[in-house]
Formats: sequence, C-alpha cells, structure tokens
Amino acid sequence: MSQSDRPEPADRRAAGHPGERAPGLIDRLTERLTRRMASHSSRRSFAGRAGAWLTLGSMIPTLPVTRADAAPAAKPEGRPKAPTPFAASAQTTDPTTCNYWRYCAIDGFLCAACGGGVHSCPPGTSPSPTSWIGTCFNPADGRSYLVAYRDCCGQDACSQPPCLGTEGDQPSYRPQANNDIIWCFGTGALIYNCSTSVIVGNAS
Amino acid sequence: MSCPHRFRFVTVVLAAGLLGGIAAGRAVAEEPVLQEEESDIVRLSPVTPHRVLVHDEAGQHARDGRVYVVDADAGKLLGMVQAAYNANVVQDPGGKAFYVAETVWSRGNRGDRLDLLPAYDPQTLTITNDQVLPGRALVTPKQNDLAVSNDGKHVYVFSMVPTSAVYVVDTAAHKVTQTVDIPGCALIYPWGNSGFTSVCADGSLANVSLAGDHATVSHTAPFFDPEKDAVFEHSPTRRPDGKTWFISYTGLVYPASLSAGTKIEPAWSLQEAAGLERPPAGDAPFVKAWRPGGWHLSALHYATGHLFVLMHQGTFWTHKQAGTEVWELDVSTHKLIRRIPLRQPSMMVGVTQDASPLLFTGDKDGTFYVWNATTGKLLRQIHHLGDDLYYTVALGE
Repeated sequence: MSQSDRPEPADRRAAGHPGERAPGLIDRLTERLTRRMASHSSRRSFAGRAGAWLTLGSMIPTLPVTRADAAPAAKPEGRPKAPTPFAASAQTTDPTTCNYWRYCAIDGFLCAACGGGVHSCPPGTSPSPTSWIGTCFNPADGRSYLVAYRDCCGQDACSQPPCLGTEGDQPSYRPQANNDIIWCFGTGALIYNCSTSVIVGNAS
Repeated sequence: MSCPHRFRFVTVVLAAGLLGGIAAGRAVAEEPVLQEEESDIVRLSPVTPHRVLVHDEAGQHARDGRVYVVDADAGKLLGMVQAAYNANVVQDPGGKAFYVAETVWSRGNRGDRLDLLPAYDPQTLTITNDQVLPGRALVTPKQNDLAVSNDGKHVYVFSMVPTSAVYVVDTAAHKVTQTVDIPGCALIYPWGNSGFTSVCADGSLANVSLAGDHATVSHTAPFFDPEKDAVFEHSPTRRPDGKTWFISYTGLVYPASLSAGTKIEPAWSLQEAAGLERPPAGDAPFVKAWRPGGWHLSALHYATGHLFVLMHQGTFWTHKQAGTEVWELDVSTHKLIRRIPLRQPSMMVGVTQDASPLLFTGDKDGTFYVWNATTGKLLRQIHHLGDDLYYTVALGE
C-alpha cells in the first residue's frame, strides 16, 4: 500500500501543504519555547550566550582531568602491592635480564638476549604454536597478565645465561603449567633455542 | 769479585756441570728403550656398587648430552656415552646393561627425527642393541620418564605425542610390546616385574598392571592438590617393593605402596621431623622457610630407609632452587637423622645402595661431590665432571 492511497485526516489537510504531517506535542512545545526566547532576547545576546556555551563545551575534553575512556575498566583502589617475591623485585625496562617482570615463570634462554625480543623469535628459528601459560604481575601498571611462554625452535640452545622463573610452575603431570617441557610441538624439529613471553590477556 | 776469585768460581761451576752431565748421561743410558705399542681399549670390570652413572644434560648445547661412568671410590672418570637431547638413562637392576633414551635428527638440527633406546654393555660401553622407539617425551630430563622393571626384562618409556602414553620395551626380544595410554597422567614409578604407577593431573595415581600384551589401569582417589601443593616428580621409589615417598612442595611426605591397588598413607612433614613448623603454601607467598627443592632433589637408601632431601631457605615457589643442605631422615620413624651442610648449593642428590653407601651432590660448575652417606663427611670431588649434572644411577636402583 502506498502512502497516497491512505486517506488523510481532515485537520492535516487543512494545516498545510499536501503530504505534510501535523506537528506533534514536542514540535509544538519546541516552537513555543523558541518563539518565547526570541521575543524576550535580542539576536546579539542569544548569539553571545550560545557562543560562550559552545566554547566552554569544546574545552571540556582538554581540561586536566582523567578521561573516562582511557581509564581501566576496573581500576583497583590505590596501588596494588606485588603479590609475589618475584614481582616485588621485578623490573620493567630490561627484557634481557632474568628479573624482567614477564619472566616470573620462564625456564630457559631469553629470546630477547638471543637476537629476538620479548615476543619475537630470533632469525633462523620458528615460534611454536603451543605453549604453557603463566601469570605475571607488572609493577608498572599494577596489573597481572597472562603470559604465554612460546619457545622458538629449530636451532640448538641459544646459550645465553639461562633464567629459571618458577612462580606457578607445576610438575609435568600438569603440562599446561609446566616449564620443563620442550614446547616446540608443531615446528619442524623440536629443538629448543630460546623462550619468548607473549602477553595474551589481562589476568587482573 | 777479584780476578783470582772469579777464576776459581768459574772452575767450580764447570766441574759441577761436567759431573752433572756425566750423571745425567749415565741415568739416560740406564733407562730402557721405549717399546712399540699396540692400540687397545680398556675393558671395565663388572658394575660395582660404587660405580655410578652420572647424567649430564649439557643444557647449553643439549644435543651433546652424555652419561658419565664414574668410579666414586677413586673419584675417577671411567668413560662416557652420548645421550642426545634431553636424554634419560636407566640401569638394569642387576647391572647387566644400561639404557639411554635419546633423540636425534637425521641432519643434526633438522631432518627425520629418530627416538632411540640403545642398550649398553657396562664393561665395554658399546651398544648391544640400538632400539628404535615410536617416540618419547622431550622434556628436561627427569629420571621418572624412563624406568625398568625389577627383573630388567622391560623398560618403560614415557611419551607425550600425540597423547600421554608409556611404551613397554621387551629388553630380550628387542621390540616395543605394547603402548599403554595414560590420559591425563605422566611419569613412571615402577613396581615389581610388570607394573608401574603414574601421577595424574587431578592429584590421583594411575596404576598400570601389565599382562602379556594388554594392560589394566586402576586409579586412586586424589590425595593432594596440584594447584596448592604439588608433589615432586623426583620422589624416590624403593625398587624391591615399589614403595614411593611422594614429597610435596611444602615438604609433606606421602608414603605410597604402589601396586595394582596402591595404598597411600597419611602424610608427614620434613620440617616437623626436624623440629620446625610446617611452612605455608602459596597462599602466603612471602614466608621464608626451609623447603625441599632442586632438580633431582631426593634419594633413598633402601636397606636403611634413610631419605636424603635437598633443602633450602626460600618462599613457596622456590621448588627448583638448589639445596644448601641435605637432610637425612628415617622414613619409618619420621625423624631427622642429620643435616649435612653443602660446600656449594646442589640441584641433585644421589646415593648408592650398598652397606657402605656414598652420597652424591653437584654444583653449578658441574663439580661432582662424593660424601660418606653414613657419616655425612665429604670424601672427594671431581672438578667440573660435566656441565649440568642432573642425577646419578647406582647399582640396584
């Protein structure tokens, strides 16, 4: 059914052009408010007040207050204390040493000291698609993160000074939480070169 | 010096030199002429209680792992065999052979993978059978990933790919006779001639009875919480009867008589045996206390029931920290016998099974320490025997 096929109410036909809708309650209130404001103020004073509100409104985002969208979803009250001895002495700047915060449960050689990075394999090696997951506390932001310890494989041990983090490490009958297993499944040769620590989620 | 005096001094020196030369010439003349030699190979005597196998993972270049044969009485290296890539070693309880589970690739670090179980003659250190395996678990070497039956007729090999399983190798027929799936479980604690137990992820045990070409598996109820206080993989088993003392991270000891119907006794505490309090677990992560730790952290002298455990002072998650002391405890009375302070922290402890037992520890430099296990006194050491000494295997273990 087309609109033109519809019978129009008598008042609408009388109020304006063909096809126009009759003003509703909100329309009528808005019109009345606007007319009253116009009859009680000059155009210049209206423009001045409107401009002032516009200027103030545009400056609000620049004020030195914490922006809601940049704040954490659930910002903990105060600064959280390090939950473990490793976290209490961990640092956040040098991923080539054992006390870097992500290495709370790493076992082996640091890819960051072997030509790779915290989440990058050295050239000539392949990342394993499998890993086990640890949970480490970041002193810089006070949150804990899920860290996947993905091995880089294909060359023999990198031989840089080894690190042995054991927080949360369980025996191999709990393989999902064991750092002794050669996590090179799915790569060509299961030869272990070094370990990365990849953030895979927020554990706070 | 005046001229006459100088003349006299030179004369004396010349005379002394002449006499010395004559004496030396006479000595040389008296030495027999060295004879021509034949190349040969040393043949060792049969295995003795104090001749031990020492596993070296060589973690900085793991494809070069090896097993040393050491005369612990003399503090002398007798020989070695290769043990490639996170290998394991186990010895026939009677000392007739030892077996190395190892992995190589056809082109070094690439190519076709080959998992092997060579059997070695303990006197010639030559391979008598080079068994090909369907696979094996690649994991930092744990003694309980490879085991042998009490009669030496079966070797058990733990594998993780594609699922948790144990390969049973007939050492006489030289073949894998069966594959036992142990889903959710790992490790091998042998008992008797045809059975072993594995630890499972829920804190229970799986008991595997072998008969012919089939296996029967039974499970115990969970007896520990792996999340809160896991038991160490390197818990010692008394070979003759399969009794095992599972030691937890906090130092609880769960005696378990392993069999098809394993019985687990109430736990006792290492620290309480020493007159100390039981330390808390991970819910109090900053509390320092004496705790068990290391890699191969415990050993048992079967005849006396003396348990040797590496201990250190640390917080809960320090279960792989090297021990600064060895605690000797009696597993029947649950009493501490002795605390042995170590010269250097050790990741491993081992013991021989004879009536005059020796105790072994290592250090981060690969030095091998030999102690009198009866007195707790250090006897000797072999400086830098290897790179990463992981555990020892003595006759009868």
